[in-house]
Amino acid sequence: MMNLKIVLLYMALLLLVSNVQAKVIKHIETAEADIEVRVFPADGDVLLLGFPCDEGKSIAEEKTAQSLAEDGVEVWMPDMLGGFMLPKVRSSLADIPTETITAIIAEALKTGKKVYLIASGPDTELILRAASEWETEDHDPVAGAILMFPRLFKDTPVPGQAPEYVDAVGKTRLPIMLLEGGRTPNRWGLNTLSHELQKNGSDVTSKIIPKVRGYFFKRQDANRSEDVVTSQMAGLIKVSLFYLGEKEI
Amino acid sequence: MYKQVYLFILLFSIIGLSQGTVQAANLKPVTGDVAAPALTLKDLHGEIHDLKDYKGQVVLVQFWATYCGPCRKEMPSMNKMMTKMGDTPFKILAVDMGESEAEVKPFVDEVKPEFTILMDEEGKSIEEWRVFAAPSNFIIGPDGKIKYTLFGGVEWDSDELIEKLKALAK
Repeated sequence: MMNLKIVLLYMALLLLVSNVQAKVIKHIETAEADIEVRVFPADGDVLLLGFPCDEGKSIAEEKTAQSLAEDGVEVWMPDMLGGFMLPKVRSSLADIPTETITAIIAEALKTGKKVYLIASGPDTELILRAASEWETEDHDPVAGAILMFPRLFKDTPVPGQAPEYVDAVGKTRLPIMLLEGGRTPNRWGLNTLSHELQKNGSDVTSKIIPKVRGYFFKRQDANRSEDVVTSQMAGLIKVSLFYLGEKEI
Repeated sequence: MYKQVYLFILLFSIIGLSQGTVQAANLKPVTGDVAAPALTLKDLHGEIHDLKDYKGQVVLVQFWATYCGPCRKEMPSMNKMMTKMGDTPFKILAVDMGESEAEVKPFVDEVKPEFTILMDEEGKSIEEWRVFAAPSNFIIGPDGKIKYTLFGGVEWDSDELIEKLKALAK
Protein backbone atom coordinates (compact mmCIF):
# COMPACT_ATOMS: atom_id res chain seq x y z
CA MET A 1 0.00 0.00 0.00
CA MET A 2 2.83 2.34 1.01
CA ASN A 3 4.72 1.53 -2.20
CA LEU A 4 1.66 2.38 -4.30
CA LYS A 5 1.45 5.76 -2.60
CA ILE A 6 5.11 6.49 -3.41
CA VAL A 7 4.63 5.43 -7.04
CA LEU A 8 1.56 7.71 -7.37
CA LEU A 9 3.52 10.56 -5.82
CA TYR A 10 6.36 10.07 -8.31
CA MET A 11 3.88 9.94 -11.20
CA ALA A 12 2.27 13.20 -10.05
CA LEU A 13 5.69 14.78 -9.74
CA LEU A 14 6.69 13.62 -13.22
CA LEU A 15 3.46 15.04 -14.68
CA LEU A 16 4.16 18.33 -12.96
CA VAL A 17 7.74 18.49 -14.19
CA SER A 18 6.78 17.62 -17.75
CA ASN A 19 4.57 20.75 -17.90
CA VAL A 20 7.50 23.00 -17.07
CA GLN A 21 9.60 23.82 -20.09
CA ALA A 22 13.29 24.31 -19.50
CA LYS A 23 15.18 27.51 -20.13
CA VAL A 24 16.40 27.90 -23.70
CA ILE A 25 19.04 30.21 -25.13
CA LYS A 26 18.00 32.31 -28.08
CA HIS A 27 20.20 34.61 -30.14
CA ILE A 28 18.82 37.83 -31.55
CA GLU A 29 20.89 39.28 -34.34
CA THR A 30 20.56 43.05 -34.39
CA ALA A 31 22.38 45.60 -36.55
CA GLU A 32 24.66 46.42 -33.63
CA ALA A 33 25.28 43.10 -31.88
CA ASP A 34 24.35 39.47 -31.43
CA ILE A 35 22.40 39.36 -28.17
CA GLU A 36 22.07 36.17 -26.15
CA VAL A 37 18.65 35.87 -24.57
CA ARG A 38 17.72 33.44 -21.80
CA VAL A 39 14.15 32.41 -22.59
CA PHE A 40 11.86 30.79 -20.01
CA PRO A 41 9.00 29.62 -22.24
CA ALA A 42 5.41 29.55 -21.07
CA ASP A 43 2.00 28.97 -22.63
CA GLY A 44 0.32 32.15 -21.39
CA ASP A 45 -0.20 35.29 -23.44
CA VAL A 46 2.11 37.52 -21.36
CA LEU A 47 5.81 37.96 -22.01
CA LEU A 48 8.07 39.72 -19.53
CA LEU A 49 11.17 41.19 -21.13
CA GLY A 50 13.84 41.92 -18.53
CA PHE A 51 17.09 43.78 -18.92
CA PRO A 52 19.32 42.53 -16.15
CA CYS A 53 22.57 43.51 -17.89
CA ASP A 54 24.47 41.16 -15.68
CA GLU A 55 26.43 38.94 -18.05
CA GLY A 56 24.25 36.01 -17.09
CA LYS A 57 25.05 36.04 -13.38
CA SER A 58 21.64 36.90 -11.96
CA ILE A 59 20.71 33.86 -9.87
CA ALA A 60 17.68 35.36 -8.08
CA GLU A 61 16.24 36.75 -11.31
CA GLU A 62 16.67 33.38 -13.03
CA LYS A 63 14.83 31.54 -10.24
CA THR A 64 12.06 34.14 -10.42
CA ALA A 65 11.89 33.80 -14.20
CA GLN A 66 11.54 30.02 -13.88
CA SER A 67 8.80 30.43 -11.29
CA LEU A 68 6.92 32.92 -13.48
CA ALA A 69 7.19 30.59 -16.47
CA GLU A 70 5.67 27.82 -14.36
CA ASP A 71 2.74 30.18 -13.76
CA GLY A 72 2.32 30.88 -17.49
CA VAL A 73 4.33 34.10 -17.85
CA GLU A 74 7.07 33.77 -20.47
CA VAL A 75 10.30 35.54 -19.51
CA TRP A 76 13.11 36.76 -21.77
CA MET A 77 16.37 37.96 -20.26
CA PRO A 78 18.68 39.50 -22.84
CA ASP A 79 22.31 39.89 -21.79
CA MET A 80 22.97 43.37 -23.06
CA LEU A 81 26.32 43.82 -21.37
CA GLY A 82 27.65 40.54 -22.74
CA GLY A 83 26.38 41.41 -26.23
CA PHE A 84 28.44 44.58 -26.27
CA MET A 85 31.30 43.23 -24.12
CA LEU A 86 30.71 45.96 -21.58
CA PRO A 87 31.73 45.87 -17.89
CA LYS A 88 29.05 45.81 -15.19
CA VAL A 89 29.26 49.49 -14.30
CA ARG A 90 26.64 52.20 -14.54
CA SER A 91 28.45 54.06 -17.31
CA SER A 92 28.04 51.02 -19.59
CA LEU A 93 24.32 51.83 -19.92
CA ALA A 94 25.14 54.79 -22.16
CA ASP A 95 26.97 52.43 -24.54
CA ILE A 96 23.93 50.23 -25.12
CA PRO A 97 22.18 51.52 -28.25
CA THR A 98 18.45 52.13 -27.96
CA GLU A 99 17.99 50.50 -31.40
CA THR A 100 19.24 47.17 -30.03
CA ILE A 101 16.69 47.23 -27.25
CA THR A 102 13.86 48.14 -29.62
CA ALA A 103 14.99 45.32 -31.95
CA ILE A 104 14.57 42.89 -29.03
CA ILE A 105 11.16 44.37 -28.21
CA ALA A 106 10.14 43.84 -31.86
CA GLU A 107 11.29 40.22 -31.65
CA ALA A 108 9.33 39.69 -28.44
CA LEU A 109 6.17 41.15 -29.95
CA LYS A 110 6.44 38.70 -32.87
CA THR A 111 5.36 35.97 -30.42
CA GLY A 112 1.91 37.58 -30.40
CA LYS A 113 2.03 37.89 -26.61
CA LYS A 114 1.51 41.05 -24.58
CA VAL A 115 4.99 42.36 -23.80
CA TYR A 116 5.90 44.00 -20.49
CA LEU A 117 9.35 45.42 -19.76
CA ILE A 118 11.12 45.02 -16.43
CA ALA A 119 14.41 46.33 -15.05
CA SER A 120 15.95 47.30 -11.73
CA GLY A 121 18.21 50.03 -10.38
CA PRO A 122 19.94 52.21 -12.99
CA ASP A 123 19.05 49.68 -15.72
CA THR A 124 15.51 51.10 -15.60
CA GLU A 125 16.82 53.96 -17.74
CA LEU A 126 17.28 51.50 -20.61
CA ILE A 127 13.64 50.50 -20.77
CA LEU A 128 12.37 54.06 -20.43
CA ARG A 129 14.67 55.12 -23.24
CA ALA A 130 13.60 52.20 -25.43
CA ALA A 131 9.87 52.65 -24.68
CA SER A 132 10.02 56.30 -25.67
CA GLU A 133 11.80 55.43 -28.93
CA TRP A 134 9.34 52.60 -29.61
CA GLU A 135 6.39 54.98 -29.30
CA THR A 136 7.74 57.40 -31.89
CA GLU A 137 6.83 54.95 -34.67
CA ASP A 138 3.65 53.08 -35.54
CA HIS A 139 4.34 49.77 -33.75
CA ASP A 140 2.25 47.33 -31.79
CA PRO A 141 2.30 48.78 -28.29
CA VAL A 142 4.28 47.49 -25.35
CA ALA A 143 1.80 46.77 -22.55
CA GLY A 144 3.67 48.30 -19.61
CA ALA A 145 6.81 48.43 -17.52
CA ILE A 146 7.86 47.40 -14.03
CA LEU A 147 10.65 49.50 -12.53
CA MET A 148 12.15 47.88 -9.45
CA PHE A 149 13.89 50.37 -7.12
CA PRO A 150 14.69 52.67 -10.05
CA ARG A 151 17.86 54.76 -9.69
CA LEU A 152 17.27 57.54 -12.17
CA PHE A 153 18.96 60.60 -10.69
CA LYS A 154 21.18 62.41 -13.15
CA ASP A 155 23.47 63.47 -10.29
CA THR A 156 23.51 63.06 -6.54
CA PRO A 157 20.56 65.12 -5.31
CA VAL A 158 21.51 68.29 -3.45
CA PRO A 159 19.78 68.43 -0.06
CA GLY A 160 16.88 70.88 -0.21
CA GLN A 161 16.60 70.90 -3.99
CA ALA A 162 14.40 68.97 -6.40
CA PRO A 163 16.39 66.13 -7.95
CA GLU A 164 17.29 66.10 -11.62
CA TYR A 165 16.46 62.89 -13.46
CA VAL A 166 18.05 61.26 -16.51
CA ASP A 167 16.63 62.43 -19.84
CA ALA A 168 14.58 59.25 -20.40
CA VAL A 169 12.29 60.07 -17.47
CA GLY A 170 8.93 61.53 -18.50
CA LYS A 171 9.25 60.71 -22.21
CA THR A 172 7.08 57.60 -22.51
CA ARG A 173 3.32 56.99 -22.29
CA LEU A 174 3.81 53.43 -21.04
CA PRO A 175 1.81 52.35 -17.97
CA ILE A 176 4.40 52.01 -15.21
CA MET A 177 4.57 50.12 -11.94
CA LEU A 178 7.22 51.38 -9.50
CA LEU A 179 8.49 49.15 -6.71
CA GLU A 180 10.74 50.53 -4.00
CA GLY A 181 12.21 49.16 -0.79
CA GLY A 182 10.96 50.57 2.50
CA ARG A 183 14.46 50.78 3.95
CA THR A 184 16.11 53.08 1.44
CA PRO A 185 16.17 56.89 1.26
CA ASN A 186 14.86 56.56 -2.29
CA ARG A 187 11.40 55.71 -0.99
CA TRP A 188 11.02 59.36 -0.04
CA GLY A 189 11.56 60.37 -3.66
CA LEU A 190 8.90 58.02 -5.00
CA ASN A 191 6.18 60.69 -5.29
CA THR A 192 8.52 63.10 -7.07
CA LEU A 193 9.67 60.39 -9.47
CA SER A 194 6.06 59.27 -10.14
CA HIS A 195 5.14 62.86 -10.94
CA GLU A 196 8.07 63.18 -13.38
CA LEU A 197 7.26 59.85 -15.06
CA GLN A 198 3.66 60.95 -15.62
CA LYS A 199 4.69 64.00 -17.63
CA ASN A 200 4.12 62.36 -21.03
CA GLY A 201 0.93 60.62 -20.02
CA SER A 202 2.14 57.46 -18.29
CA ASP A 203 -0.21 55.99 -15.74
CA VAL A 204 2.13 55.38 -12.78
CA THR A 205 1.43 53.21 -9.75
CA SER A 206 3.95 52.88 -6.95
CA LYS A 207 4.28 50.45 -4.06
CA ILE A 208 6.74 50.27 -1.19
CA ILE A 209 7.94 46.85 -0.12
CA PRO A 210 8.33 47.05 3.66
CA LYS A 211 11.48 46.01 5.54
CA VAL A 212 13.74 45.61 2.50
CA ARG A 213 16.57 47.75 1.19
CA GLY A 214 17.13 48.63 -2.43
CA TYR A 215 18.80 45.88 -4.52
CA PHE A 216 17.56 43.45 -1.86
CA PHE A 217 17.76 40.44 -4.15
CA LYS A 218 21.34 41.19 -5.14
CA ARG A 219 22.70 41.62 -1.62
CA GLN A 220 25.30 39.36 -0.01
CA ASP A 221 24.22 40.58 3.45
CA ALA A 222 20.49 40.07 2.90
CA ASN A 223 18.45 39.95 6.12
CA ARG A 224 15.54 37.61 6.85
CA SER A 225 12.91 39.94 5.34
CA GLU A 226 14.99 40.41 2.19
CA ASP A 227 15.47 36.65 1.82
CA VAL A 228 11.71 36.11 2.17
CA VAL A 229 10.81 38.82 -0.37
CA THR A 230 13.46 37.50 -2.77
CA SER A 231 11.92 34.03 -2.56
CA GLN A 232 8.50 35.57 -3.26
CA MET A 233 9.63 37.84 -6.10
CA ALA A 234 7.58 36.02 -8.73
CA GLY A 235 4.48 36.82 -6.67
CA LEU A 236 5.55 40.45 -6.42
CA ILE A 237 5.90 40.67 -10.19
CA LYS A 238 2.53 39.01 -10.74
CA VAL A 239 0.94 41.57 -8.42
CA SER A 240 2.66 44.31 -10.44
CA LEU A 241 1.30 42.84 -13.68
CA PHE A 242 -2.13 42.81 -12.07
CA TYR A 243 -1.84 46.53 -11.34
CA LEU A 244 -0.75 47.06 -14.94
CA GLY A 245 -3.96 45.44 -16.14
CA GLU A 246 -3.31 41.67 -16.23
CA LYS A 247 -6.31 40.49 -14.21
CA GLU A 248 -6.08 36.84 -15.24
CA ILE A 249 -2.59 35.97 -13.95
CA MET B 1 66.38 54.46 0.65
CA TYR B 2 65.82 57.58 2.82
CA LYS B 3 64.83 59.45 -0.31
CA GLN B 4 62.08 56.86 -0.94
CA VAL B 5 60.81 57.16 2.66
CA TYR B 6 60.70 60.96 2.42
CA LEU B 7 58.92 60.66 -0.90
CA PHE B 8 56.26 58.43 0.68
CA ILE B 9 55.88 60.78 3.66
CA LEU B 10 55.48 63.70 1.27
CA LEU B 11 52.97 61.73 -0.80
CA PHE B 12 50.88 60.80 2.25
CA SER B 13 50.96 64.42 3.44
CA ILE B 14 49.67 65.56 0.07
CA ILE B 15 46.94 62.89 0.13
CA GLY B 16 46.01 63.92 3.70
CA LEU B 17 45.81 67.56 2.72
CA SER B 18 43.77 66.86 -0.37
CA GLN B 19 41.28 64.74 1.62
CA GLY B 20 40.82 67.61 4.06
CA THR B 21 40.22 69.96 1.18
CA VAL B 22 37.71 67.60 -0.37
CA GLN B 23 35.76 67.42 2.89
CA ALA B 24 35.54 71.18 3.18
CA ALA B 25 34.62 71.47 -0.48
CA ASN B 26 31.69 69.14 0.16
CA LEU B 27 30.00 71.90 2.14
CA LYS B 28 27.86 73.55 -0.49
CA PRO B 29 27.17 77.21 0.33
CA VAL B 30 23.53 78.24 -0.03
CA THR B 31 23.17 81.57 -1.77
CA GLY B 32 20.48 84.03 -0.77
CA ASP B 33 18.32 84.05 2.31
CA VAL B 34 16.85 80.57 2.45
CA ALA B 35 14.92 80.02 5.64
CA ALA B 36 15.03 76.52 7.10
CA PRO B 37 11.68 74.71 6.83
CA ALA B 38 9.83 73.97 10.06
CA LEU B 39 11.02 70.99 12.06
CA THR B 40 9.12 69.78 15.10
CA LEU B 41 9.71 66.19 16.10
CA LYS B 42 9.99 63.96 19.15
CA ASP B 43 13.30 62.54 20.31
CA LEU B 44 13.77 58.97 21.56
CA HIS B 45 12.65 60.03 25.05
CA GLY B 46 9.40 61.50 23.76
CA GLU B 47 10.54 65.11 24.19
CA ILE B 48 9.47 67.50 21.43
CA HIS B 49 12.16 69.57 19.73
CA ASP B 50 11.34 72.58 17.58
CA LEU B 51 14.10 73.96 15.35
CA LYS B 52 12.96 77.51 15.95
CA ASP B 53 13.78 77.12 19.66
CA TYR B 54 17.45 76.87 18.67
CA LYS B 55 17.58 80.27 16.97
CA GLY B 56 20.83 82.00 17.91
CA GLN B 57 22.77 78.72 17.60
CA VAL B 58 24.41 76.98 14.68
CA VAL B 59 22.39 73.81 14.02
CA LEU B 60 23.37 70.78 12.00
CA VAL B 61 20.16 69.14 10.80
CA GLN B 62 21.00 65.73 9.49
CA PHE B 63 18.68 63.21 7.81
CA TRP B 64 19.98 59.70 8.38
CA ALA B 65 18.91 56.07 8.79
CA THR B 66 20.39 52.92 10.31
CA TYR B 67 20.25 51.19 6.90
CA CYS B 68 22.53 53.89 5.45
CA GLY B 69 26.16 52.74 5.65
CA PRO B 70 27.82 56.20 5.49
CA CYS B 71 25.41 57.48 8.17
CA ARG B 72 26.46 54.73 10.57
CA LYS B 73 30.12 55.28 9.82
CA GLU B 74 30.17 59.03 10.40
CA MET B 75 28.18 59.16 13.65
CA PRO B 76 31.13 58.60 15.99
CA SER B 77 32.82 61.62 14.36
CA MET B 78 29.72 63.66 15.21
CA ASN B 79 30.27 62.81 18.90
CA LYS B 80 33.84 64.09 18.59
CA MET B 81 32.53 67.16 16.78
CA MET B 82 30.33 68.01 19.77
CA THR B 83 33.43 67.96 22.00
CA LYS B 84 35.50 70.02 19.56
CA MET B 85 32.80 72.68 19.20
CA GLY B 86 33.31 73.39 22.90
CA ASP B 87 31.41 76.46 24.11
CA THR B 88 30.22 77.43 20.64
CA PRO B 89 26.41 77.61 20.62
CA PHE B 90 25.85 74.53 18.49
CA LYS B 91 23.29 71.77 18.25
CA ILE B 92 22.92 68.61 16.19
CA LEU B 93 19.42 67.40 15.33
CA ALA B 94 19.76 64.03 13.60
CA VAL B 95 16.42 63.12 12.03
CA ASP B 96 15.89 59.41 11.47
CA MET B 97 14.22 58.77 8.12
CA GLY B 98 11.08 56.78 8.69
CA GLU B 99 12.28 53.98 10.95
CA SER B 100 10.69 52.71 14.15
CA GLU B 101 12.19 53.12 17.61
CA ALA B 102 12.81 49.38 17.68
CA GLU B 103 14.94 49.69 14.55
CA VAL B 104 16.88 52.73 15.77
CA LYS B 105 17.50 51.94 19.44
CA PRO B 106 20.06 49.09 19.03
CA PHE B 107 22.28 51.37 16.93
CA VAL B 108 21.83 54.28 19.32
CA ASP B 109 22.76 52.05 22.27
CA GLU B 110 25.91 51.08 20.41
CA VAL B 111 27.03 54.56 19.27
CA LYS B 112 25.70 56.54 22.26
CA PRO B 113 25.22 59.81 20.37
CA GLU B 114 25.96 62.92 22.41
CA PHE B 115 23.40 64.82 20.37
CA THR B 116 19.67 64.67 19.70
CA ILE B 117 18.12 61.91 17.61
CA LEU B 118 14.69 62.85 16.29
CA MET B 119 12.17 60.35 15.00
CA ASP B 120 10.09 60.94 11.86
CA GLU B 121 8.29 57.68 11.25
CA GLU B 122 5.79 59.30 8.87
CA GLY B 123 8.51 61.06 6.86
CA LYS B 124 6.70 64.41 6.83
CA SER B 125 9.83 66.49 7.46
CA ILE B 126 11.73 64.50 4.83
CA GLU B 127 9.35 65.75 2.14
CA GLU B 128 9.30 69.31 3.45
CA TRP B 129 13.08 69.48 3.56
CA ARG B 130 13.32 67.89 0.10
CA VAL B 131 15.61 65.05 1.08
CA PHE B 132 16.15 62.34 -1.51
CA ALA B 133 19.32 60.66 -0.28
CA ALA B 134 21.10 59.90 2.98
CA PRO B 135 22.90 61.31 4.78
CA SER B 136 21.64 64.76 3.79
CA ASN B 137 22.87 67.64 5.93
CA PHE B 138 21.80 71.23 6.41
CA ILE B 139 23.88 73.75 8.37
CA ILE B 140 21.55 76.38 9.82
CA GLY B 141 23.01 79.71 10.90
CA PRO B 142 22.06 81.52 14.12
CA ASP B 143 19.56 83.57 12.04
CA GLY B 144 17.60 80.44 11.12
CA LYS B 145 18.75 80.51 7.47
CA ILE B 146 20.33 77.56 5.66
CA LYS B 147 24.02 78.40 5.18
CA TYR B 148 25.38 75.14 3.76
CA THR B 149 24.17 71.77 2.58
CA LEU B 150 26.19 68.61 2.36
CA PHE B 151 25.45 65.18 0.96
CA GLY B 152 27.33 62.03 1.94
CA GLY B 153 29.36 60.82 4.88
CA VAL B 154 32.24 62.93 6.18
CA GLU B 155 34.50 63.11 9.22
CA TRP B 156 32.62 65.81 11.07
CA ASP B 157 35.42 66.47 13.53
CA SER B 158 37.89 67.60 10.86
CA ASP B 159 39.56 70.88 11.83
CA GLU B 160 38.40 72.58 8.67
CA LEU B 161 34.73 71.80 9.22
CA ILE B 162 34.93 72.76 12.88
CA GLU B 163 36.52 76.10 11.96
CA LYS B 164 33.84 76.81 9.37
CA LEU B 165 31.04 76.07 11.82
CA LYS B 166 32.64 78.09 14.60
CA ALA B 167 33.03 81.02 12.19
CA LEU B 168 29.32 80.77 11.44
CA ALA B 169 28.47 81.19 15.12
CA LYS B 170 30.34 84.54 15.39
